[in-house]
Amino acid sequence: MTLQAEFQAVVLAAGRGSRMSEVTTGIPKCLLPIGPKPLVWYSLYKLQCAGFSDVIMIVLENEKSEIHSVLEKTNLDIKIDYVCVSEKDEDLGTAESLKLINDKLTSDVLVVSCDFVTDVDFKGVLDIFRMHNASVASLLVQPQPNEVFVVPGPKSKHKPERDLIGIDTQTNRLVFLASASDFETDFSLPTSLLKKHTHIKIYSNLIDSHVYVLKNWVVKYLKSEDSFTSIKGELLPHIIKKQLSKPPKPVNTNTSVINTGDNGDIFAFSKEDELDINIRNTSSYNDHTGDLKPTYHEDSIRCYAHIAPKENFGVRVNTLPSYWWINNKISEKWPQITGDRLEFVPVHPKADVKSNQVDNKCVIWEGAKLNEKTSFKNSIICSNTEVCSFSRVFNSIIMNNVTIKEKVAIENCIICDGATIEGGCQLKNCIVGSHHTVSEQSEHTNEVLTESDRLMEF
Amino acid sequence: MSNKSKELVQKENAVQAIIVVDTFDDEFLPLSNDIPHALLPLVNKPIIDYTLEFLSLGGIEETFLFCCTHIDAIKQHINKCVENAEEWTQTMKVNVVVSESCRSFGDCLRDLDAKGYLRGDFVLVEPGTISNINLLPLLEKHNKITKIDKGAAMTLIFQESGLGHISRCPKEEVLMATNSSGRVLFHKKLGTTRERKIEFPLEIFLENSTVSLRHNLKDTHISICSPAVLPLFSDNFDFQTRDDFVRGLLMNEEILGMTVYSNVLKGGQFGGAVTNWRTYQTLSHELKNNYVYPVQPSQKHNSFLKNDVIAGQNATISKSAKLNNVIMGDNVKIGENVDISNSFIFSNTKVEDNVTISLSIVGPNCLVKEKSKILAGTVLGKGVQIEKECFVEDALVQSTRPDELDSRDVLGKHAFRLVLDDNEPEDVVDLALARKLSRLHIDQNLGEESEDDGFSESEDERSSYTHSPAPDDTKLFFTEVIDSLTRGFEDKLQCDNLILEINSSRYAYNVTVKEVNFFVIKAILIMSLRQPMGPQYFSQLQRLLQYFVPILKNYLRNESAMLDCLQAVEDVATSNENLTEKWVMFVLQYFYDKDHVTEDAILKWYSTLDKKSNFHAQVKPFTDWLQEAEEASSSEDE
Repeated sequence: MTLQAEFQAVVLAAGRGSRMSEVTTGIPKCLLPIGPKPLVWYSLYKLQCAGFSDVIMIVLENEKSEIHSVLEKTNLDIKIDYVCVSEKDEDLGTAESLKLINDKLTSDVLVVSCDFVTDVDFKGVLDIFRMHNASVASLLVQPQPNEVFVVPGPKSKHKPERDLIGIDTQTNRLVFLASASDFETDFSLPTSLLKKHTHIKIYSNLIDSHVYVLKNWVVKYLKSEDSFTSIKGELLPHIIKKQLSKPPKPVNTNTSVINTGDNGDIFAFSKEDELDINIRNTSSYNDHTGDLKPTYHEDSIRCYAHIAPKENFGVRVNTLPSYWWINNKISEKWPQITGDRLEFVPVHPKADVKSNQVDNKCVIWEGAKLNEKTSFKNSIICSNTEVCSFSRVFNSIIMNNVTIKEKVAIENCIICDGATIEGGCQLKNCIVGSHHTVSEQSEHTNEVLTESDRLMEF
Repeated sequence: MSNKSKELVQKENAVQAIIVVDTFDDEFLPLSNDIPHALLPLVNKPIIDYTLEFLSLGGIEETFLFCCTHIDAIKQHINKCVENAEEWTQTMKVNVVVSESCRSFGDCLRDLDAKGYLRGDFVLVEPGTISNINLLPLLEKHNKITKIDKGAAMTLIFQESGLGHISRCPKEEVLMATNSSGRVLFHKKLGTTRERKIEFPLEIFLENSTVSLRHNLKDTHISICSPAVLPLFSDNFDFQTRDDFVRGLLMNEEILGMTVYSNVLKGGQFGGAVTNWRTYQTLSHELKNNYVYPVQPSQKHNSFLKNDVIAGQNATISKSAKLNNVIMGDNVKIGENVDISNSFIFSNTKVEDNVTISLSIVGPNCLVKEKSKILAGTVLGKGVQIEKECFVEDALVQSTRPDELDSRDVLGKHAFRLVLDDNEPEDVVDLALARKLSRLHIDQNLGEESEDDGFSESEDERSSYTHSPAPDDTKLFFTEVIDSLTRGFEDKLQCDNLILEINSSRYAYNVTVKEVNFFVIKAILIMSLRQPMGPQYFSQLQRLLQYFVPILKNYLRNESAMLDCLQAVEDVATSNENLTEKWVMFVLQYFYDKDHVTEDAILKWYSTLDKKSNFHAQVKPFTDWLQEAEEASSSEDE
């Protein structure tokens, strides 16, 4: 018999990256190269640092073997339990994926998205969850100062999505969550909410990390309800709103005892242990001051938010600009992310580097072949990619199995898996789609170069 | 005096303040007819004295006291203070500015703008303000803000205070949104609104990365103003009050280019204003308990007795008098066996033997004769004489005969009930609520609001989530009716008064006529059920119904009201399982015999009952009897 773990970790890695389809057509989103590691590695490593020895990872069925083989080589100690979802289930929501593994979840659950790269310790959000015996705790990250980058591809104005997040300043209760785009000109709050939480701060600039700690009953409740597709979009707002409701008073004490278990009401799930309630009522602790209401206002549903300190960073790699940003920053942020426990190895020992013009900001993966008389600055060259002589690559991401012929100049580009750049090409601010061949002597700037029918799929 | 004042005026950058002493409302009628608001005694010291003391302690060097009514009294008072060399006269010069044509707070400021007395930033104090805040740091802070934001016109000063705290006047409940630098983005008074949702413009959240929504604030009625404030009042003739000003500035931010800031005080800093009787009551309490230290009532002038009783000079109190939480003025005489609680007795008033006064204000020079009762929010104006064994409840009483008078409102030779005419019929509910909120703090639970799920209304619920039935208005109304009737029956109050009471709660809770009928009958029946179900029960019930005959007559006037009444019987009978057929029979019989309900009404109601129900069976014998009797009588006619 093994001890029941306090938390079970779940990594959601079945996303397709539909917001950055230019680069995710040929590669699972979670394997996008970021510095010397694939994207999902960062979430897994953070979980490992937080003390998790096991993790359940939800992946698409057709990508499982590829993800498995890549992660095998990354020397993670954490044991990964892969759960596949069929690729036929178009756009399976995050809540729906969680529902699939309902039977495996016996403890409280830490849900992490595969696309979150951060140096924030998960301890903060776990602690606030523990402290208040919360139903849901969510990790929020402060925004990074704006920096101007030239993102490859056609010039477009990037408009980040914004959430409106309401937090009680005294208790850190999460009292409101919605996307700013849900409103047109007005935004309304119930009077009763304002009377219950008399000092609320509404944030419009925080980044929701999509790291959630869920009480086990939330998962059970999710199973009984069919209507939730995403955690962020539906489940969480629903539970947050329910904090304001009171459980229905049993009309008749004789019948209610039998019925509470199966009437599907959220309060039947959130019911707290009698002993916990008694202890709380006898204690002199109260989570708030200012009114004479009991601790937690006697709510059995409690949502909390942990805002990471300002010096920490966190980024969701789900758009091209954020992907570009993190790749530019990774070597600088590496010590923070790993807590100095892991050395930053820019050039893999098994890489074949013959070039003598590789600056210290370059990352070269295993099996990459850089021939003589090539020049590299601030770039990532992934596995089994070959760069022939008289070519130069500046400020670019070159993914796996790419062939770059002679006399090619690449600047500020993303070259996807299996692409071939023929001799004499000059590319600037371009994205080259996977398995695309750029013909000889061509010049391109600010373009997405891909087989058009490939993009059609998306 | 004149020499000294010249010296002070010559001082170039004296810190200036404006006090407007007129309230321009009728909250303190009938007392405000005779005593200006500023000279209203608060723990036996005029309110204005506290305000001036606060300003001088706060660092103000020159104050403009703006008054429009009772000018001589105020001038005289100020002169007397200067002669007596009160502490504040040593560091602060007070100029009384007079204009009889002003009709609002805004008018006063426009007048001051025209006079051009003010030079730089100044402190604006609304009538009745009492505080112990040090103003200089606040002025400095405002000055810093104006250096960053040139358009900053005003800093509102708030005190942090928990929801439901007695010092928060429910009428002045404010909801404010500020950004991280304290700029006010949204300002709304929640006092008399009963909206379930508050709408905010979305852009305030998008333009500011963090917005604080605060509902834990108490308005101190103090604001720090830039010189731009007075011209702004002059430019905008629709600004009547400071709240109009704030609202106007927020609405026309782009046009006027002006902004409002806020400053929230914590800890020992206290601020508040006497704006109505409720705040009068709480501020008296707070002054008494030294919340506003160092501003405090005179220690020499007052005698502090046990049970929270304060008496002025030369008070005569009989030994048998029972006093609790009372503040009395000078030369007050209290007779034998008098019972006074939670009340204020002003100077030179005489209370004769066996009088009961509770939660009321007795003005100066009054005479309350033997065995009278003055209860629940009554205010006696100057010189009122209450006759022997008179009962006054929740009334404003003045000594002079008003022009238009209903004979019911004459209580004595020198006592006339004052009825405030409310000319805005559509606002009746709000007005009644506002009145209720500004009265003395009687019921501890008055501020309690139903905590219902405000989200669920708009949300298209995915499944049928049940919510606890929130105590809504009708329910509150019902409990209030029960309370009134129970008290009326126990104290043998006149039914006419009870009807008045019920009607006033009806407006306060916005209850329909049908519901009133239903709940009044239900309340009487429910009251009877508190008696034990013994053999005595029915005679008790009969006594109760007999007592309330005037009430029944008042409400059961037509057939639809009778149907409401019968529905109440049905409701009570079906919700109390132990009520027998005998009870139903008795009640119906009684209502029928006393002509409260007609036969037609009963039969009509009977036909709507569910034939299978237990209750139907219980009513059946009675209706059978009715029909038989009718047949018998009709056959007799033949």
